[in-house]
Amino acid sequence: MSRKSERLINLTIALLATKRYLAKGEIFRSVSGYEGSDETKERMFERDKDDLRNLGVRIDVGSFDPLFEDEAGYRIRPEGYSLDMGAISGTEVALLSLAAAAWRGAALDGAAHSALRKLASMGIESDLDSLPAIAPRLHTQHGDLQSITTAMSKRESISFTYLSPDLAREVRTIQPYAIATRDSHWYVAGNDLDKLHLRTFRLDRIEGEISILKNGQGYEIPLGFDIFASLTQQERANNATLDIRKGKAELLRKRAQTITDKGEWDHITLTYSNERAFIDLLLWHGQDVLVIEPPTLRDSIILCLQEIVALHE
Amino acid sequence: MNKSAQSPLAHTARLLDLVPYLASHQGIELGVLAQYFGVTQTQMIADLTSLWMCGLPGYTHLELMDLSFDSGFVTIHNADTLSNPRTLSDEETIALLLGLDLVIKSLPDNRGDLKERAAVLVEKLSKPGSLPAILSASPTVEGSVRALIESALLRDGAINLTYHSFYSDVISNRIVIPIEIRHEAGFEYLWGMCQSAHALRIFRLDRIQAIEITARPHPSLVDSTPKNQAPSSYAIRSHSRPREVMERFSLDRDSILHDASITSYSLEWIRRSVLASSGSVELISPPYMRADIVTAAKAMLDCYK
Repeated sequence: MSRKSERLINLTIALLATKRYLAKGEIFRSVSGYEGSDETKERMFERDKDDLRNLGVRIDVGSFDPLFEDEAGYRIRPEGYSLDMGAISGTEVALLSLAAAAWRGAALDGAAHSALRKLASMGIESDLDSLPAIAPRLHTQHGDLQSITTAMSKRESISFTYLSPDLAREVRTIQPYAIATRDSHWYVAGNDLDKLHLRTFRLDRIEGEISILKNGQGYEIPLGFDIFASLTQQERANNATLDIRKGKAELLRKRAQTITDKGEWDHITLTYSNERAFIDLLLWHGQDVLVIEPPTLRDSIILCLQEIVALHE
Repeated sequence: MNKSAQSPLAHTARLLDLVPYLASHQGIELGVLAQYFGVTQTQMIADLTSLWMCGLPGYTHLELMDLSFDSGFVTIHNADTLSNPRTLSDEETIALLLGLDLVIKSLPDNRGDLKERAAVLVEKLSKPGSLPAILSASPTVEGSVRALIESALLRDGAINLTYHSFYSDVISNRIVIPIEIRHEAGFEYLWGMCQSAHALRIFRLDRIQAIEITARPHPSLVDSTPKNQAPSSYAIRSHSRPREVMERFSLDRDSILHDASITSYSLEWIRRSVLASSGSVELISPPYMRADIVTAAKAMLDCYK
């Protein structure tokens, strides 16, 4: 194990230090660790190149000598190898540390931690005292999140079993565009390859493992893609007027655009997009909420209540 | 040693990251270094020994890296080629971008300066064309709430909470001695001794409306035995929207396909949950609860007459 690692390190150093392309022959002669027949060395080198690329090290291939164009040469450009954050202050390092710490114990903890080590290696002290006392956290153990980010970064499609609203198990295949969390749920949005349309999925509705399809087809993520726009697309915002009992219906009160004092009640206005979800929320509050406007919403509430009575009487 | 530490690729990655870290932290203690990289001291010594064999072609002492760690403190020289940290992987970038988005939204509104600086970092990290604004994280809990509880936990302090009880829809003030923060199914909960209730209570962090550190109440005020009360059992049947019913009542897929049995300490929660299912759920038993639902729904209908 360590001999292989040592050879990879030596190869990296040699390719980084050179100012011109190195031919294979030169590499085999000068870099420590290439032994055996020519064929063995060739095989080793091909594997090593793949390994370094998998580690994110970019190896440039070019002609090392204009007179012998057919012989390929190799080098690693330092500007592509090194982390370049430009000028960065202690406060900014502290912000990045806080961002990484948000993953403590959660799905991307490992990646966040290794990012932090690289940032620490820039040698700039984190100035945590310059930030207010906040401790944001991302909670998700979803191994899914890791699979999706890996697929996204390699532009590979993913496939998974999804619970439909009527609880059917559907296999969905998407090109993931984005992940996001809202109201404690994680979402992934992407191009559904069967429906040929943009779709959004809630991660906790995915059953079993997510498989990454290594078909190498790749895809483009639309520039400026906005997952929340896609979450609320096709939903028009409607206005509603409600009466809510004083000291009650905190969830609706928080969303109110205007509040007018009416003694025992408060008169509030607010907007809603998903009518179904809004009705559920209004009914949750029992006799503490009364719908004034719009009449269609009032009618829907009355219908739901009549159905509840009919079901239970 | 964990598995990833053993794979040759993970090992190589660690060695490559070790060099710039050492170059910027000369004289670091071996144990601290091993812990920081998540490996045993023995593994770290093996890593350092490996690096010792590496350097520029030629591999004489002039070209090899010069490491010293016999004293228990590690220094590195002659390692200029590798002394800059490696560029971030896509996965690391994603982790930081999501974290930064959360930080921006968690910063108080009067710190626009910091929000701006974090936004600049987001821009720097989103390499052109590769990872645009496709990552978004929103906090469920105000960052300062958690920081305050954590500080009370550290200092054995108490906190004064303004809390919105979801089931009873009531806002109240309580003095709580925090015990721990736990998270479950995406939500965070504070377990603490509630002075007003004289008992162990659980508070969901996103329902805390205001919080401040306060003096710890006298121990005699606190009764540490939780009030035990048996939960009641209910049976429900889903008539439509089964996935929503499943999620609202925290059931699994198979149980919702038949009549499902649920238990709860809160009659209020059951009543509200059945009403809020807008007719997609029927409460089957017990009979007194069916009657309760009818009474509640009829009273609501009366308000619309």
